[in-house]
Amino acid sequence: MALTITCPICGRRNGYEFRFGGEDKGARPDEEGLSPEDWCDYTHNNTCIAGIQKEWWYHRDGCGSWFTIHRNTITNLEAEATA
Amino acid sequence: MFRKSERLWGKAPLMSDYDAVIIGGGLHGLATAYYLARNHGMKNIAVIEKRHIGFGGAGRNTAIVRANQRTKENLSLYKEGLELWPKLTAELDYNLMFYNCGNLNLAHSEAALSAMRMQVASARFFGIESHIADPKECKELVPALNISEDITYPIFGGMYHPPGGIVRHDAVVWGLAKGAAKLGVHIHQGTEVLGINVEKGKITSVETDQGTISTPRVLNAAGGYSASLSYKMLGIHLPVSVLTIQAMVTQPLKPLLDHVVSSGAYHCYANQTLKGEIATGAHMDPWPNYTTQTTAHYIKHQAEALSEFLPCLRGVRFMRIWGGLADMTPDMAPIMDGNDPIEGYYTDCGWGYFGFKSAAVTGKYMAQFMADGECPDMLRPFTLRRFEQHRLMGEMAGTVVYSPWN
Repeated sequence: MALTITCPICGRRNGYEFRFGGEDKGARPDEEGLSPEDWCDYTHNNTCIAGIQKEWWYHRDGCGSWFTIHRNTITNLEAEATA
Repeated sequence: MFRKSERLWGKAPLMSDYDAVIIGGGLHGLATAYYLARNHGMKNIAVIEKRHIGFGGAGRNTAIVRANQRTKENLSLYKEGLELWPKLTAELDYNLMFYNCGNLNLAHSEAALSAMRMQVASARFFGIESHIADPKECKELVPALNISEDITYPIFGGMYHPPGGIVRHDAVVWGLAKGAAKLGVHIHQGTEVLGINVEKGKITSVETDQGTISTPRVLNAAGGYSASLSYKMLGIHLPVSVLTIQAMVTQPLKPLLDHVVSSGAYHCYANQTLKGEIATGAHMDPWPNYTTQTTAHYIKHQAEALSEFLPCLRGVRFMRIWGGLADMTPDMAPIMDGNDPIEGYYTDCGWGYFGFKSAAVTGKYMAQFMADGECPDMLRPFTLRRFEQHRLMGEMAGTVVYSPWN
């Protein structure tokens, strides 16, 4: 089955309504003393987990909310948070 | 025809020691193994494949080859790659079914035509045949094309690249496997790499589910799985997003399409296979995942796009659909690197949807890199460090960008 995403406002909707917003990498790093390596890690690099990851989504064709979910990248199904 | 069939390559026992271990029995891995043995006299090589060779992108791409990229670093690599197909066919003594029917890339705006003019100028500078075609010439090349203004994106012209075309992808897998095995390379299918061991900054061995292999050199050529593998086994993060790309074929038809036709605006490309099917692909599901799920969304998308610019296909049925994984980088250019930060560890990934057309030539240069330990000039621009140095390649502007950000 194709992807569905649960928006906190609109509920469970077709995945094609949303725009993927990237792996959740935590807060934007402080620019004070930030090295090019760390900046590259934050902007470009991904963990590419084959399994459950926490990630950002944007409800582009809906309410416009930004939110995070957990999703299993092997099944494309939303999942419970793992420890 | 009545000859007893012979296996193209034999099954070898897994040795405890190899001069090089290649992770991934796709085209890049097999080509690198082949050239290591052929050009550099290294015969003690293992290709480790978790499933079977050609299971991944090697057998799922739409078999299109071309050299009409945008930047100088990419153009020279793809040009040599394109020239390699006939040579490889002869060398491997295996029919790769290279059909240089040419690629017609459609422009649907003045801006798209301007971008193509620059691409054509770049191509010509490198001696690659490519020219701008007006709508009339597009129609002469592909009589089935709808050049009327009565479609969503009317055709303003195109970029015609005669030396490109299609190559039978399975034949390349089998031909390279045959050629490599004949030179002594061991191909281990159904064998999974579980870990890579490093001591004092150097590669020492590879753990597999069939035992440990001592080796001073490892190539990560795991395609869609390379970034995950790189982080899980060595802690090296890569600027990669793994997306699913879908493709499909229609029922077989009489010959009607003599060229590969592609359109960025319609997000659609199509060519007619030698069996008569129209093979067509779209853009990607813009979220990272490791499934090869197919969706009705894309069948509808392809049907809409094709019935607009190739209206004779209206009502034709799709027969098969499949998906494959593409490892996309932020600048649409691959990552080829080695000995940094781990001595003996080489990476060849991030090919996105260019992995097929580049496989043979990349194998040749990666083999040189692994044999000499020195990065060949051809591959230097593709270093992983370009991302932290803010030297991303301009290939982004040359193609329709398929990233999670679409």
